[in-house]
Amino acid sequence: MSFLANAFSITSKDIRLEFRGKESLSLMLFLSLLLLVIFNFALDIDRDNISLLAPGILWVIFAFSGILGMGRTSMAERDEEAYLSIVFSPASAESFYLGKVLSNLLFLIIMESFTIIFFAVLFDFERIIGSLLELVPSLILGTVGFSLIGTLFSFLSTTSKYGEVLLPFLYLPVVVPILLGGVSSMDIVLNETVGEGTGKWHQIMIAFDILYFSLSLLLFKYLIEE
Amino acid sequence: MKILELRGVKKRYHANSALNGIDLSIEKGNSLTVLGPNGSGKTTLLKILSGIMSPTEGKVIYKNNQASENDRKKEIFFLGHKNSLYNSLTVLENVNFVCRLFSRNNGDASVENILREYGLWERRNDPVGELSQGMKRRLAIAKGFLIDPDVFIMDEPFSGLDIRWRSSTLSKIKDFKRQKKSLILSTHLVVEGYELADYIAFLHRGKFLFIKKKEEVDIEEINGLFDSPEETLK
Repeated sequence: MSFLANAFSITSKDIRLEFRGKESLSLMLFLSLLLLVIFNFALDIDRDNISLLAPGILWVIFAFSGILGMGRTSMAERDEEAYLSIVFSPASAESFYLGKVLSNLLFLIIMESFTIIFFAVLFDFERIIGSLLELVPSLILGTVGFSLIGTLFSFLSTTSKYGEVLLPFLYLPVVVPILLGGVSSMDIVLNETVGEGTGKWHQIMIAFDILYFSLSLLLFKYLIEE
Repeated sequence: MKILELRGVKKRYHANSALNGIDLSIEKGNSLTVLGPNGSGKTTLLKILSGIMSPTEGKVIYKNNQASENDRKKEIFFLGHKNSLYNSLTVLENVNFVCRLFSRNNGDASVENILREYGLWERRNDPVGELSQGMKRRLAIAKGFLIDPDVFIMDEPFSGLDIRWRSSTLSKIKDFKRQKKSLILSTHLVVEGYELADYIAFLHRGKFLFIKKKEEVDIEEINGLFDSPEETLK
């Protein structure tokens, strides 16, 4: 019970930190808006090809904005070695990890909702809102995967002087299966591909989520130990 | 009862050796002051005692291995070189967060008392980032006393404190000692370190030059050790 209580304390502390410092979520939202505008200018998007391009654009934004925000939440822990107040407390490394995963998950969900809404407005693609219910499973599985492995890697990156620069190089190759699953299942839903279901991709994403979770649980304690 | 014990502890950072075979035993209710020049391995030793750092070789034993990892974490509080505070959270939020993790429901009155004692009550709703370095240090110390651990490990507790807060922290630590709790601290301030100690250890190049009862050492001898450890011991 105290395991979950500690994890929730850490999550609520992160929410409060974000509310005060506006360092993570605001950066994520700003980057996703910026990328949407760049894609709007850079790509020749019209009513015919929007549903083909939307999955790729959205998941690229989710991945890049997400890793930026997760990097910031981890940096906040390293400032003045604030994370040691958790490490030296009875809270276990696993509850620390879970608390950080939950707060990252929350920020990612907010960023993704914002991105999808602005995508629909900016590209005049209301159908994505209409298909939201069908998209939710792959969005959740993908976001959970991002958060599970992103929390580990973003903490890992804070141990190095050039960590924030290195983070995307470490993180992006590892989340390729999640990106692939997210893009493909969104493509199937938006383009109503005949004969193909999203089930196969969901299974792949579930498998990777479990793998990321198990690996991170094992490794996180070594990251916070000096 | 032995509360903390080190057996043959060595710590290496790549090619550099920070600790070279440390044996140490601390009885419940005793206090140990670790003195030594910069780079002698004091912080590494304290981090290993607190459990945040694993030794490269050797063993750390807490309560004769009869306490669980969770008990150890509940009963030991480490005040590091840095203050371990969240700059964007307020003074009260920082304190409450740590109390929640330690499952300490001290009540508002004791939080208010300790913050008043450290001159921080008026600033309780200010973000920690707006406090001076000295105030942050006071808050970090206050947090430790609020947790009221069985073993308080302090790395340079007086750094950044002016003379007024140094003396009130000194008397607060003395009160803590009177409760028969264990204290391990490192400091550059020989007089304060001496005053708080039951035992004094002098660390030089990762090895203890001595661990003695306070009565067996005098301050002059310790000061001499800082200048030239080998010569003084000859």
